[in-house]
Amino acid sequence: MANPETLDRLVRRVAAQVRRRRIEHYALKGAFWASLVSVLLLIFKQPLGALALPLAVAVFVAGALSGALWGALRRTPGADAARLADRAWALEDRVATALECAARPERTPMIESLIADAVARVEQLEARMAARRVIPRDGRFLPIPLALAVVLALAPPVPLPSGRLPDFSASAGEEPTETRADSPLMDDKAKPLAKDKLKSPSFEERDVATRAGGTGGPMSGDLSAIFKDTSLSSQRPDFQSFLKKGDERLKMLEQADRLPDLQSDFTASQYKMVYKKSKALTSGLRPDISPQKLKELLEEMERLGRKGGANWQGDAAEGMEAMEGGQTDRAMEAMQRALDKMRAQDEAGRSGKNLKGGRESSRSGANSRDRRGGGEGGGPEDQDFGEGEGLLPGKGRSNSPKGEATGRLRASPYDVGVEGETRRGRKEGYDTNLTGRGGQMGSRLQYLGVIGQYRKMMEDAISRESVPRDFHSQIKDYFQALDER
Amino acid sequence: MTQDARVQDFVASFELLRAEVEKVIVGHRDVINHVLTGMFAGGHVLLEGVPGLGKTLLIKTLAEGLELSFSRIQFTPDLMPADIIGTNIIVEDADGRKHFQFQQGPIFAHILLADEINRATPKTQSALLEGMQEASVTVGGVSRPLPGPFFVLATQNPIEMEGTYPLPEAQLDRFLLKLRVRYPAIEELNAIIDRTTQAHAVTVNRVMSGAKVMAFRELIREVPIAAHVRDMASTIVMATHPLWEHAPETTRRFVRYGASPRGAQALVLAAKVRALAEGRFNVSVEDLRALAAPALRHRIILNFEGEAEGIDVDNLVGQIVESAEAVAVRSKDAFLR
Repeated sequence: MANPETLDRLVRRVAAQVRRRRIEHYALKGAFWASLVSVLLLIFKQPLGALALPLAVAVFVAGALSGALWGALRRTPGADAARLADRAWALEDRVATALECAARPERTPMIESLIADAVARVEQLEARMAARRVIPRDGRFLPIPLALAVVLALAPPVPLPSGRLPDFSASAGEEPTETRADSPLMDDKAKPLAKDKLKSPSFEERDVATRAGGTGGPMSGDLSAIFKDTSLSSQRPDFQSFLKKGDERLKMLEQADRLPDLQSDFTASQYKMVYKKSKALTSGLRPDISPQKLKELLEEMERLGRKGGANWQGDAAEGMEAMEGGQTDRAMEAMQRALDKMRAQDEAGRSGKNLKGGRESSRSGANSRDRRGGGEGGGPEDQDFGEGEGLLPGKGRSNSPKGEATGRLRASPYDVGVEGETRRGRKEGYDTNLTGRGGQMGSRLQYLGVIGQYRKMMEDAISRESVPRDFHSQIKDYFQALDER
Repeated sequence: MTQDARVQDFVASFELLRAEVEKVIVGHRDVINHVLTGMFAGGHVLLEGVPGLGKTLLIKTLAEGLELSFSRIQFTPDLMPADIIGTNIIVEDADGRKHFQFQQGPIFAHILLADEINRATPKTQSALLEGMQEASVTVGGVSRPLPGPFFVLATQNPIEMEGTYPLPEAQLDRFLLKLRVRYPAIEELNAIIDRTTQAHAVTVNRVMSGAKVMAFRELIREVPIAAHVRDMASTIVMATHPLWEHAPETTRRFVRYGASPRGAQALVLAAKVRALAEGRFNVSVEDLRALAAPALRHRIILNFEGEAEGIDVDNLVGQIVESAEAVAVRSKDAFLR
């Protein structure tokens, strides 16, 4: 009778390997969590004092040991170990089947053969690890808390926030009371914005010039100083004038296409750059002023003036002549004059009356092109209509082209109308506003014959359908306008 | 003879018989192995494949290698059950008296080749049912045993072919294994051409008797199977049922009916033959894995969605086996998997 003792030994060996792997696994797991506790202890090194480090080490070791103990105490069933051995050595379930059959009371010749075969194969096996190492997921991160713990152990104690609440007792009233006007908060508000700090000298000068006509500088303690609106602060509130001004502003908003194009960068214009450079030179902001730089600047100004047809061209040219003659003072004076003219032109360009947005300028350009192209009309578009007048056909006073669309076709570059053609064959309806050959043909239905029917249908519809009352007059006016035509 | 000697004899006989078949049949090593497995397990085998792949030749060659009677029925749509089983005919004896005498049909043979079985009507196909399951037929109220060993090898064309009738599920279940005969590889095709287009004929020797086959059938049933391997077989079969709680998602979605307990029996029996043919005294999980598809593919009935999606049952069985293995190790911890 075959003896399965060899098989039992193999199974015990595999079970021991499994236990070892379990010990590793759970020790790592325990060490990880214990290391987190150790880190916490080391963070509180200051209150714990000299006890912190030994305590952290003890916790770490205890965690790892308890994990290892847990792994060692877990049982490994013999059948599972036998199956693991079968898989590890590719024994095709011989060991598990043989051990299971060996435990049966009756042993058939086939089972005896099976056990003998299994024993023979197991005896030839080379000793190696059957159980695989399973590293726990949290154990992979063990180096992080360990490194942290080492750093904390070597570093000075972490300063901890004191648990004391702020003192709100009566002694707090002894603090100096701040007036509202000179409180830091108000000061902050009164301070110019950071953007203002970056303003170029030219803008600062212009601000001063604008306020020169005001009623004077802000008084100390005056709330108006905060808002920097000295011109209005001294006046009495005038509701009527506000309404008037507000009305003007609203009108301006209605003409949104006339608003200046705020997206374009005025500070980046060539004039502005030259102006800035000149001011920097003349005001001594740049100590490295030299005749060469002055000459270059004058050349640039002269070139800009020639290009834009500006009136400072002559001054710039005079300055250049003075430079060539070695008269720096005269050149500086000429440049100052040119700068004044440049600034005046810039002020005029940016003043409220001549504000023109990009769209406005482009539209005016388009209108001029229309006129050049021989388009009809093209008169002032900004004429006001009476209330509701512009909406009704034939009621407006606009000189813009009306009537046949074909005549207007391609009159404007924005007109992308497509010339069409009537289809061939009999048509059920009547054609109108045609641009092809059909445009020359008369209507199939007599206009005056049907307009009366349509008006009657309109009146029926208005009374029957839920048309808003405000629209009744407009609809009737529309039909009236058709009659007049 | 000792047990080891018996097992060695089986291994040698298996190899010898396979070698005889391989004299004629090129390639198809798995099909040949599975046909022999079916025969030694005491079951019947259904071979499916398009015409011309050598299904009939394989079975004829196998019959030539065994000292057993062989008959062949070519199934046609007008074939009647009596043409298979036999019928009572009126005969006149020497005294001039007439009486009925049973005329045996071709089913009375050790090896029955039911060629293109799905070309006959279901009624005729069903005539084989009793013989396949009970190894006996009943005609005129008299039950007549079939000779042992009785082994049906049927071939069928894929259902998509014209003029075929699908086999009833009950009859399909009677087949221990269903094998798919696929196209040979180009090297095998070259060998087929060389063998079949030359002058000399190949002679197949008879290497095994019926008695030996029966003895091997008994030996195979002695092969032990461990509890966990048996559990795996049960889990695989249960996983073919869409209503089982641990059934994989593919089963739930595409299967209407799973394998019967006969499927589990077939799986384990075939696994035992495979184990013994490899000289092993026990069934392993690997045996189950290798034989799951032949033993279960014809026992899994797809639902409408599965048919519409064109689900391949072999792939489905593969997924079922994987899920069964996952179920088996679910309760184990990571060290024992």
